[in-house]
Amino acid sequence: MVEFRTRYGVSAVVMFLLVTVAVILFSAPNEQLAPSLMSAFFWIALFFGAMTGLARSFISEEERGTGLLLRLYAPADSVYIGKLVFNVMMMLGLAIAAILFFLFFFTRDFSVQDWPMFLLQLGLGAAGIASVSTILSALIGRAAQKGALLPVIALPVLTPLIIATTDATRITLEHANTWQDIRGDIIILFSFDLVMALFSYVLFEFIWKD
Amino acid sequence: MKFTRSRIFHFVVGIALAVVTFISFSTPMAGSFEDVVNFKMNSGLSKVPVKCTVVRPSFDSIGKKFFGSRDFTGRVMPVSIAGVLPSGEGSTFVADISYDAGHAEYHLEKVVRLDPGMTFPLIPGLGELGRNMLFHVPMSMVAFLAFLMGTINSILYLAKKKSTPEQKMLLDQKARAASAVGLLFTLLSTVTGSIWAKFSWGTFWNWDPREVDIFILLLIYAAYFILRSLLEESEEKKARIAAVYNIIAFASVPLLMFVLPRIAQSLHPGGGGAEAPVINANGKTHTDPTLLGMLWTNVFVFVLLYFWLADLTRRVLGLAEHEEEDI
Repeated sequence: MVEFRTRYGVSAVVMFLLVTVAVILFSAPNEQLAPSLMSAFFWIALFFGAMTGLARSFISEEERGTGLLLRLYAPADSVYIGKLVFNVMMMLGLAIAAILFFLFFFTRDFSVQDWPMFLLQLGLGAAGIASVSTILSALIGRAAQKGALLPVIALPVLTPLIIATTDATRITLEHANTWQDIRGDIIILFSFDLVMALFSYVLFEFIWKD
Repeated sequence: MKFTRSRIFHFVVGIALAVVTFISFSTPMAGSFEDVVNFKMNSGLSKVPVKCTVVRPSFDSIGKKFFGSRDFTGRVMPVSIAGVLPSGEGSTFVADISYDAGHAEYHLEKVVRLDPGMTFPLIPGLGELGRNMLFHVPMSMVAFLAFLMGTINSILYLAKKKSTPEQKMLLDQKARAASAVGLLFTLLSTVTGSIWAKFSWGTFWNWDPREVDIFILLLIYAAYFILRSLLEESEEKKARIAAVYNIIAFASVPLLMFVLPRIAQSLHPGGGGAEAPVINANGKTHTDPTLLGMLWTNVFVFVLLYFWLADLTRRVLGLAEHEEEDI
């Protein structure tokens, strides 16, 4: 895919993440940040990082004029799967970068108590954001004001996911052995991911063909 | 004036809406004798309207009257006894009743309504504010119905590949009309809800879980119309993209309206799996049958109102598109 060849796309998003973390650091110097705040900052950084990075997946095709070639050359299914796989990988990479930044800059406040559960809910949340942004980015491929449009339409659709995942993150930051407490959140995340991936797979064909 | 089918429909919806609104507000509120005691003990409220039945009318002396169902002495003004108080056995009336804890006696203070028919139950802590339930709850239900109808039309739009462009255009207009009316009902539900919140919880907006969810719902469907207006495509492709967004957006609506509010702790009834009069996690209702009847009647009338409004909006959209074609 194109994004692998233009490496600056990925590094720009990682830089965006770093800048967000820096803003959080400067706005709350020497503050004791509670787990709920930490969880909120973490997902704000990740969400907007994702929006800047994942919005590119279809918009760049349209801007470069390669969309038409892709339409002629590849069936809709494989285009969608390719974009989805790339976006999920990119999102997971972004999540890992976010963990590293937070561990480095917020050593005291960002102390995960239950790593397996933290990684599980983070993976599910990241995959959900990736699959929703993939289909929505395909929707707005040729809209005006596309840069601003993706967060505007993605945030409402992603809200159930964000509510569940910030809650789960907060709990895993607070104490260990959290499976009982976050089971509901995990079920919501998992079903949301599944429904969104299935819907997107079926519906992609309709937006892709001209 | 010709009586077409739609004109009769408009007429019926208008009348039905007026009738249920009148009934919702005019039905007298009445609690039970237990409420009188509880209110006296808990909130110091001295008088509570209660629906009484005359069992054994007997005049004791001027200004006093005994009723058999619960022995209470009625200290009523002589005028109201002579002119108003029913004397026939089995007749009903609503009266303000007070409780004298010292003598363990009920006192009849004032007759509010004779032969009330049905009465609106007195909900502790809500009182007259409880009537809002008859508008706020149906509005939310109809909003969900509207979004469901919009999504069904969007699915049909994408699924019916063989239909003519006119048929597809009609389905698209139906989907847009349903979402627009759904957005309107969501707004109305938010407004009635926040006025209710002002008077029973103190502020217009509390970021209660259900308030968060309805706010997100407003955003989702506002985004639907923003997305559509910003697309630079042919009408056909616009309709297709909007239909896809509508289906994806609807996937989170049941989660927002039914799952999350029942998990989170909430000021609304039914939050956190708590017992609630109308909605709770167990799906059981402990609501007064009269209230339930009134509620479902209002729901039915609001559903009619939805179909009327959606049809009107659909036709306006159709006319607007015709006009564009002509130019």
